[in-house]
Amino acid sequence: MAGKSGREISATPKGGITKILSWEGALILVFIAVIILGKSISPNYTLNNVLREMQKYLPEIFMMFGMGFILVLGDIDISVGSIVCLCATLTCIAANAGVPFILAALLCILIGTCCGMLNGFLATKFTELPTMIITLGTQIIFRGIAEMSLGSGGSVSYKNSKDIAVLAKKIGPFPISFFLVIILGVVMITVLSRTTFGRKLYAIGSNKTASYYAGIKVQRTRFLCYTILGTLAGLCALFLLSALYGANTTTGQGFEMEVIAMCVFGGIATTGGKGNLIGGLIAAFIIVCLRIALGQINMNTQLILVIIGAMLIVSVLIPQIKNALMPKKQKV
Amino acid sequence: MAEDIILELQGITKIFPGVRALNNVHFQLRRGEVHALMGENGAGKSTFIKVITGVHAPEEGHIYFNGEEVHFKSTLDASALGIAAVYQHPTSYDDLTVTENIFIGHEIIKNGIIQWRQMNKEAEALLARLHANFKVTEEMGALSVAQQQMVEIAKALSTNAKIIILDEPTAALTANESEELYQIVDQLKAEGVSIIFISHRMEDMYRLAQRVTVFRDSQYIGTYDVDQITEAELIKAMVGREISDMFPKPEVTPGKEIFRLENLSRTGYFKDICMNVRAGEIVGLTGLVGAGRTEVMEAACGITKANSGKVFLDGKELRIKQPVDAMKAGLILLPEDRRTQGLIQTWGLGRNVTLPIQEELAHRGFNDEKEERQLAKKYLEDVDTKAVSIFDLASTLSGGNQQKVVVAKALAQKSMKVVIMDEPTKGVDVGAKAEIYSIMGDLALQGYGIVLISSEMPETLGMCDRIYVMCKGRITGCLDRSEATQEKILELAMEQSQKEV
Amino acid sequence: MKEKSLWKKITGSREVSLVIVLIVLLAAVQTLSPSFLTATNIAQIFRNNALTMLMALGMLCVMLTGGIDISITSTLAFSGMTIGLLQKYDILHNTFLLFLIGAVIGLICGSINGMIVAKGKVAPIICTMGFMYIWRGMAYVISNNAWASGQDVAGFSDFGKDGAIGPYIILIIAYIIFFVVMKWTKFGRQIYAVGSNKEAAAISGINVKKTITSVYAIMGMLAGLAGVLSVSIYASAQPNMQYGKEMDVIAACVIGGVSMSGGRGTVVGTFLGALIIAIIAKALPLVGISSIAQNFVKGVIILAVVVLNVITQRTMDKQNLSRREI
Repeated sequence: MAGKSGREISATPKGGITKILSWEGALILVFIAVIILGKSISPNYTLNNVLREMQKYLPEIFMMFGMGFILVLGDIDISVGSIVCLCATLTCIAANAGVPFILAALLCILIGTCCGMLNGFLATKFTELPTMIITLGTQIIFRGIAEMSLGSGGSVSYKNSKDIAVLAKKIGPFPISFFLVIILGVVMITVLSRTTFGRKLYAIGSNKTASYYAGIKVQRTRFLCYTILGTLAGLCALFLLSALYGANTTTGQGFEMEVIAMCVFGGIATTGGKGNLIGGLIAAFIIVCLRIALGQINMNTQLILVIIGAMLIVSVLIPQIKNALMPKKQKV
Repeated sequence: MAEDIILELQGITKIFPGVRALNNVHFQLRRGEVHALMGENGAGKSTFIKVITGVHAPEEGHIYFNGEEVHFKSTLDASALGIAAVYQHPTSYDDLTVTENIFIGHEIIKNGIIQWRQMNKEAEALLARLHANFKVTEEMGALSVAQQQMVEIAKALSTNAKIIILDEPTAALTANESEELYQIVDQLKAEGVSIIFISHRMEDMYRLAQRVTVFRDSQYIGTYDVDQITEAELIKAMVGREISDMFPKPEVTPGKEIFRLENLSRTGYFKDICMNVRAGEIVGLTGLVGAGRTEVMEAACGITKANSGKVFLDGKELRIKQPVDAMKAGLILLPEDRRTQGLIQTWGLGRNVTLPIQEELAHRGFNDEKEERQLAKKYLEDVDTKAVSIFDLASTLSGGNQQKVVVAKALAQKSMKVVIMDEPTKGVDVGAKAEIYSIMGDLALQGYGIVLISSEMPETLGMCDRIYVMCKGRITGCLDRSEATQEKILELAMEQSQKEV
Repeated sequence: MKEKSLWKKITGSREVSLVIVLIVLLAAVQTLSPSFLTATNIAQIFRNNALTMLMALGMLCVMLTGGIDISITSTLAFSGMTIGLLQKYDILHNTFLLFLIGAVIGLICGSINGMIVAKGKVAPIICTMGFMYIWRGMAYVISNNAWASGQDVAGFSDFGKDGAIGPYIILIIAYIIFFVVMKWTKFGRQIYAVGSNKEAAAISGINVKKTITSVYAIMGMLAGLAGVLSVSIYASAQPNMQYGKEMDVIAACVIGGVSMSGGRGTVVGTFLGALIIAIIAKALPLVGISSIAQNFVKGVIILAVVVLNVITQRTMDKQNLSRREI
């Protein structure tokens, strides 16, 4: 059926590469700046040292990828820190009770997956509830179960530290978890930006109703993403154990906020439908390297968090300031 | 007679970044008259109303109220003079009561404390004036659209409005409710209130207005006496060209049955719906707002679930659990609300068009962007979308063009056999309407089955081969094109009680 | 429209449902442990939950506009720490002035939150998350590894010690003020309007930005007050005070029927929500659930309440549908 007016519509993509990467480009510059800063203020800021100290921060980045999916969907999950706590706690207890290491490791990831599935179940069966409330409830429940399992002592140590130390091994100066971050990163970034699944996330986050009418299985996609995040939380817990050799009632506290901050700083909006994981990954490394640098000059840990908090707020204000100074052309 | 003119605007120009929304327009409102403002979508009517109510300040031009020049710094200035507007999109607070909605912004306050009792009493009086059948303590969200509109009018009256502006007042009303609205307007006019209203519907204009002003492409075209201008002349003023054949219904011999509903029911919405469509047929589904037409089709297409009944496509029974099942079988729905259901406003046109088919085009889960671009370009061109590139954002298109994108999205699904169009020309200007009818005709010629859900009589009578009429969840009759008239349709669409007059 | 039946009116009102739940709860607990409803116990419940109850009023206002504030305990800590240090270093001991300073600190923190949300158009969760780090960090920075002990704040802590009526007075006054303001003043109704329909509010002439900034400022002020109160009640000030407790406040509001999307919620409901959580926490040991399981039970109750809400609404909708004559 030919168009009556014979009008032609262009299908050539604009030189959008520069525009798409502008936020990521800025982040790369910030990252370079952080490295330069680190080197100039601390003599210990060498590759080896940084990588060594990074080990305790890397596991959180696993979760950042999953949180990115959830945020692009327009949902949120503030229970991941508690999932980490629960996984770490129960795994420790199981391993101490004699469960072989491999099984315990699988158990860790399985518990995380189950927690994620619970979140997903509640989010998809009770769509009237804001996911903030649902994961607020599960946040308290998961940590509550951990507290009950830990009993009055409130903490547990991993007895066979040699087993878990396997995960802390390095290849050269790079810890195994570093490679895992890169591999996971490549996979998740590709899925989000190049697959139909990823496109669905953006669609649902931009307009849930229209996506549903267009035939997208909205609830199934959301369930999957919550489950994936839960699995990644289990993975995080496992590697966290290899760094901390134990767990207590405060394990993982605040992780959800840090992970969300990495995503938002990386350009992913909490309203959904925007941003990508490349930005999230760069932002994660910026935050981690900055923390290490400031930690090496013995800056107060809390002051470091103040700086990160300030960076987060400035990073979300920048687009607003840009809009105010250069209003876009809009058809009224 | 200058004293007769309560409101006058001269040489109004309003510029937004990159866009001249109003270009040197004029307008004159006489005291106690009902004045229609008409024009295509994007002609500038809404912007103009916002200038009158003080939402926007014009870059150039003068506004005179009762002969004196005025400058509005905010909406409060305009409402202080007695200018009130009732907008098309609800500006009401669903969580608050009717009284609060009426008095928001000008509550009755003594010593800092809100006088609820007095406000409730005054609200009741206002509602009584409008012959409302609901209480002031109801939550706004619990009311029907017509009732909400009544509250909005009451709100305007509560500020002792001398000028009331109605933006598409009958758009969401049934025929009965529209009649009630007409009576309210008559009454207000009798009380000396001057009224401006925007409407796409000729019936509204002929029934209510004394004069009509036409805008086109942000410009003032002219002001005419309603009883001295013909419909064709009016359309020409609005569109700038003659629309010769409004309803290009092609003559098609219908093929075999392609779509059938058998006793489809959904508790509380509709019951025992039986209808069928043959290939090449355009079948209308009409009735008053609230009759259940959209609900029937949404259940047939898997958007919602029917409790019982069967759906047949091409003779085969469909088992539909989710929307995608219906789509894969070839049953495509163009939703009623193109803004929130039909398109993703923040996406480009291309991505919108290929959304339902992205998996088909993908290779092992990876998107084929090049193929998607080519297909999107083809279908968008096929329906003659007024856009520069497939990367234009959906939100930048007018209503009519957005509807075309929705059609392109349907066409892109090669499995399509039956297409259901739910109010496709709602909020679409005259020019684009004709283009959509033309597309519909082409589809019929190509052998697709088409269901047209519509509340507009002319459209239904002009385009359909057969017309099913629904009333309160049931099909009350089926009329053939040859025998269908507006009266017969209304007869079938109205409840028994309303007919016994 | 049909007249609503009495039954519908009762179940339709969230507040009434909560009162029923409360009565049932108290009855159940009282039978299990006849010595529960004593004046001392009741007083303890209010004292131990005073901070949550106080801050819940602020959270109500914030949530009514469709927002959220997770920085409240950080503001609390910042304010409380300041008050503690002022006494520790003998700079100031006047009770009234200390409360005033605490409230002002909270007010400033909250106003900054509000301005960034309102003018900067930043999502409340993100903005308050950033400030959660910042204000808490400030609390640590000014403490410089010191903290105020019971000795340091002796005299001041008399205000909030066991048996003193100070905290109760503050709670009562706060609840009365907020009840009147939310229902009977223009400002209060404007908060509801903004939360119910922001665009309409702007067109109605309401200064939306000012309203939003105000609710966060109010929240901050209450958090600041809570910080001072905390120092007085617990006779100490550390930078990690009330860490993680912001969720309790949010939970109180949610159970009290405050909608996260804005426009719905009342002072009475919030009070009942906070009270119900407080009583359950206190009653658990009596039912044999050790205090270590408290959090778990709290979480289950929160989920149960909101899920029940949904199920009830769905059942009511279904009934309405089946009643329609088709």
